[in-house]
Amino acid sequence: MPVVKVFGPLLLALIAALPIGAALWAVGAQMLHAAAWQALWADPQTWRAWGMTLWTGLASTALAWITVAHVLASGFIRQQLGRWLSHLPALLATPHAAMAIGLVLWLSPSGWALRLVSPGLTGFDAPPPWFTTQDPWGLGLILALWLKEVPFLLWVAATQMQREDLRRRWQAEYALAQTLGRTPAQAFAQIIWPQLAPRLRWPLLAVLAYGLTVVDMALIIGPASPPTLAVLAWQWLSDADLLTQSQGVAAAGWLTGTVLVAGVLMVVALRVVASKRPFASRGKRPQSQASDRDGLLSQKTPTWLLHFCRRLPPQPNAMWTIILTAYIAVWSALTVGSVSGVWPFPQVWPELWTLNAWQQVASSAHTVWTTLGLGVASASVCVLWSVAWLELTPRRWQQALQPWFLLPLVLPSVLWVVGLYSLALHTRLEGQWLGLSLAHAVMVLPYVLLALVPAYQAVDPRQAALVASLGHGRSVYMWRVKWPLLQRAIASAWAVGFAVSVAQYLPTLYVGAGRFATVTTEAVTLAAGAQRSLMSAYAALQMLLPIAAFALAAWLGRPRRFEKIAPMKATS
Amino acid sequence: MTDTPQDGLHVHIERLGSAHHALVSGLRLAVPPGEILTLMGPSGCGKSSVLAAIAGTLASVSEGLQPLQLQGSVQLNGRELAHLPTHQRGVGLVFQDALLFPHMTVAENLLFAVPVSDVSGTRSTHAQRQARVQQALQEAELSGMGNRDPSTLSGGQRARVALMRALLAEPQALLLDEPFSKLDAALRAQLRPWVFAHVRERRIPVVLVTHDEQDVADPQRVLHLRAAEESPHHV
Repeated sequence: MPVVKVFGPLLLALIAALPIGAALWAVGAQMLHAAAWQALWADPQTWRAWGMTLWTGLASTALAWITVAHVLASGFIRQQLGRWLSHLPALLATPHAAMAIGLVLWLSPSGWALRLVSPGLTGFDAPPPWFTTQDPWGLGLILALWLKEVPFLLWVAATQMQREDLRRRWQAEYALAQTLGRTPAQAFAQIIWPQLAPRLRWPLLAVLAYGLTVVDMALIIGPASPPTLAVLAWQWLSDADLLTQSQGVAAAGWLTGTVLVAGVLMVVALRVVASKRPFASRGKRPQSQASDRDGLLSQKTPTWLLHFCRRLPPQPNAMWTIILTAYIAVWSALTVGSVSGVWPFPQVWPELWTLNAWQQVASSAHTVWTTLGLGVASASVCVLWSVAWLELTPRRWQQALQPWFLLPLVLPSVLWVVGLYSLALHTRLEGQWLGLSLAHAVMVLPYVLLALVPAYQAVDPRQAALVASLGHGRSVYMWRVKWPLLQRAIASAWAVGFAVSVAQYLPTLYVGAGRFATVTTEAVTLAAGAQRSLMSAYAALQMLLPIAAFALAAWLGRPRRFEKIAPMKATS
Repeated sequence: MTDTPQDGLHVHIERLGSAHHALVSGLRLAVPPGEILTLMGPSGCGKSSVLAAIAGTLASVSEGLQPLQLQGSVQLNGRELAHLPTHQRGVGLVFQDALLFPHMTVAENLLFAVPVSDVSGTRSTHAQRQARVQQALQEAELSGMGNRDPSTLSGGQRARVALMRALLAEPQALLLDEPFSKLDAALRAQLRPWVFAHVRERRIPVVLVTHDEQDVADPQRVLHLRAAEESPHHV
């Protein structure tokens, strides 16, 4: 019995840790190539690309963090958070590439934004030669990243704030703080936010890493000359020349170092901010309300946060409205774009509506099937693994090993694909469906785990004791109480995993050795060309598939409907 | 039925605690069938841990801390329980929160506890089990509310369902862990005699943990636990 108890978790740990470790090892070995590093330093593009990477990554992360704090504060204070966040799955299901393509459809010189005001306001009869997309300042990329990362952070925050135990405690503490004379804004900033922010540290790190290393989005809407370092690394990696390839590996390594340093700096910065919190020092008691109505406390609270909290517009939250509007705009651009035929410039609506693009998509149905197959396989494997892991392993193991499993979240995908590809080469799985789905699973795992852990932490241990005291064994507890109660969390973790798999671009191309086309690879590839309708159709599909998965998950995890008040049913 | 000396619950805790710290040591308690022993003491003295040791649920109370271990014996009607898993002990538990399963109706919560086969091993039909649920609902003064969502019940109703659920599993001993502490004074005063009458009716030993003197079921049977360092003693 004890052998099984140790062996099971050990096996599970190895299953997940080995591919990650082996991939890192493989990429590490390739990095010991002095000529590659020299070529990297000597290349005039490197430093400018790196600068662009830092600018876009840091700016989008900072913006996202401030926005999330703002939305959470105003949502919590107005008790509207649950309602606002009910739109979240649709936003989350919109893949990065689809978002970027949708923005391009709006912002490009021939995009909807200019069409709406032309020629009336602008006098343009032809698209102006503007850099409104792929702008050399990276603003489009920052906008796209910001729009995508805010819902992600909000979703992680929601998984915490909607945990029954935390929700109750925080509501009580928030009310208590107000009885001690704090305004609602102060109560949130001093009581809730300091408890919530540390829980968002890992996800924020993931956002930072993503912003610094994103490739598919940067290919579509990012600056082109120079591009970001991740795009440059990707271009080098796909070069035929071996030295250029290893220069790409070196660039991936440099990018990884950048992410690590930036991540450490960010954590330190957050700690410093947190340590300046009002009641952090030991033994100091909260100031009494009389001496503190508006003075000391507001100085000790992060001023930008208080500033936001004070200036809450009446209804609804402006920032959240902007984000929702942007998503709706993107969705409608994709929809209209995918059925547009001839569409001369200043006209707001296409001259010709056609389903050609969708017919083309239907005629290459295998692309859709590949996408579905990869998503279902990798999400299911990850959910099964995560449930087994959370059920079988002691808490201590879980805490110790979690950072390791979350690595794919924070290390650049250009780095992973190199490692996963050499791993696939060694195991002869390169260009194989199995190898590709395993590569997807490595990228999907951290998201599934992150989605499931809070639900597992919220399980009341007394429930197991209670079921056992009623004379039922462990399996009855699992099948009839624990898992039914976790059904919603498990279903949505699966949908998240599916969505992450659908959105994979680099692993699909690289580990699949170019043999597998998914809706994402098609959409990104088409974004470079001129087939607006086909590109829009694939981008829309890239979004519809995850939305279908989320809808399925919502249906599977729907709460039970009880009869309100009814006479007792006779035996059924 | 005549009581023999080994009938009832006999607990001898030589040492209960983590590797470094003994929470309770040298504690003996004996509860004859149909009697209610009240276990009292300040918070943190190990009252709930004693119940967990009897029920075999130490793993769930030690969450996040050092795991607690029991040295000693727990005997119920002459049967040694200390090495049995909880579900084979025949010891019922009621917590301060009713802990009704939120995904089941009130009746389903109760049905969950009704054994599939009776003492002699014959399987009960679904109708027989449903009949017991109906009877329990009546005893809890909740007839006709079986199909309700448990979260729509009042605190007192929930507490009654929780007790009925524990009793439907036909435990041979029952442990009540501060069962009244989340209710208001009026409700407590109402619920106490109801609970005590129902558990006495079953002729099983009962241990009640509380820190409210008013909860004491039987002034003859009260055990005060002191804080960890000192040894416990009878009053």
